[in-house]
Amino acid sequence: MNKKTGALRIISPDGIFYDGRMLAVIMPSLDGQLEFLPCHEEMITVIITGELKYQTEDEKWHVAAVGGGVAETANNRCDIYVDFAEKPEDIDKNRAKAALERATEQMRQKKSIEEYKISQAALARALTRLRVADKDPF
Amino acid sequence: MAGSADIKNRIKGIQDTRKITNAMYLISSTKLRRAKKSMEDIEPYFYGLQSLMQRMMRHFPDMTHPYLRGDEERPESETTHGFLVVTADKGLAGSYNANVLKETGRLMKGKSSRLYVVGEAGRRFFEQRKISIEENFTYTVQNPTRARARVITNTFLKDFEEEKIHDLTVVFTAMKNSLETETRVMKLMPLEKEMPLKDIPSDVPREEFIIHPSPKEVLSAIIPPYVAGLVYSALVESYCCEQNSRMQAMRAANDSADEIVQELKVRYNRKRQAGITQEITEVSAGARSGNLHN
Repeated sequence: MNKKTGALRIISPDGIFYDGRMLAVIMPSLDGQLEFLPCHEEMITVIITGELKYQTEDEKWHVAAVGGGVAETANNRCDIYVDFAEKPEDIDKNRAKAALERATEQMRQKKSIEEYKISQAALARALTRLRVADKDPF
Repeated sequence: MAGSADIKNRIKGIQDTRKITNAMYLISSTKLRRAKKSMEDIEPYFYGLQSLMQRMMRHFPDMTHPYLRGDEERPESETTHGFLVVTADKGLAGSYNANVLKETGRLMKGKSSRLYVVGEAGRRFFEQRKISIEENFTYTVQNPTRARARVITNTFLKDFEEEKIHDLTVVFTAMKNSLETETRVMKLMPLEKEMPLKDIPSDVPREEFIIHPSPKEVLSAIIPPYVAGLVYSALVESYCCEQNSRMQAMRAANDSADEIVQELKVRYNRKRQAGITQEITEVSAGARSGNLHN
């Protein structure tokens, strides 16, 4: 079985997270999940904090926790730029739990809109990390 | 022999100081290496975002966004200029701080400005001169991280949105080559819209992009990390330069310490020998006079 593949790169400020071929990639976009298959139409889209899944050539699915960013696909190449990208096994669950508690605590207090947004973003990151850490891809 | 004890004391003092300067030299060189490494890690991400920005600009030349330079010019009298000044937390780094502060002073002259100062040395400088700087902006320059660059960026992006500042210039230090550093001035906000178009021939079929959900949303997602990336690179560049300047200053200090110690040792030995000679003369003179009496 020879399926068509596309190039996928997932890049975070800490370095290149993944650089290789893919059969599909599912990412969290502003209005729900979005899937790119090989030879997807040229597109630029916004990614939010959430879980990103991609299927490598051996048909295995992989999952990663990603921060917000952008994805661009053109000429069967998909480049995803995210704030952070972590494999489930690399996620520090204790840290994420502590961050979750801190964020919920802060959101309960009456704070400025700006601080509220910061806590909200921290909460989203912590929740994503915890969700992905406990997860087997499919 | 009071003199020789003094000299001995001084030698010891200088040697102790040299130990400190030498340690600072070594610390600086490790810090420099680490900062360079983290800079290399971020490069693919940063250049990727940059090319994505350029692509967006190319496809949507007439896009408007609060962060992009608009068409209307604001009269100078109504403009508040923001300056992000990157200095070190401490001195002992040659003219590193002085150069940045001098350049900032030159740029600020006769303008209404708002200062965002990173680094203790810069803050002290402006406080002494009673120049008001942005409060609650107390970030250290030690070990620049992306998180800190992002917080710094958010601070002035917010002020920019609220029109507390109308543009932002970064004054920092960059490596000219591996030995020399130079002060650089980078206009950061608002982002320039025009990108050179001429390097793409017009008959080349260009891809048509779907922008999801809207160009504005995409720009809002790209610009903050892009600007934070620029700030981060300025912080890291400056940090590398600071360490480099400190290494050079400390090496110079080490060298002159060696020189002084060398000179003092010669003087000490001379004094010691003079003392010994004197004693021998005295002893032998005494012995001779004793002989005469016998």
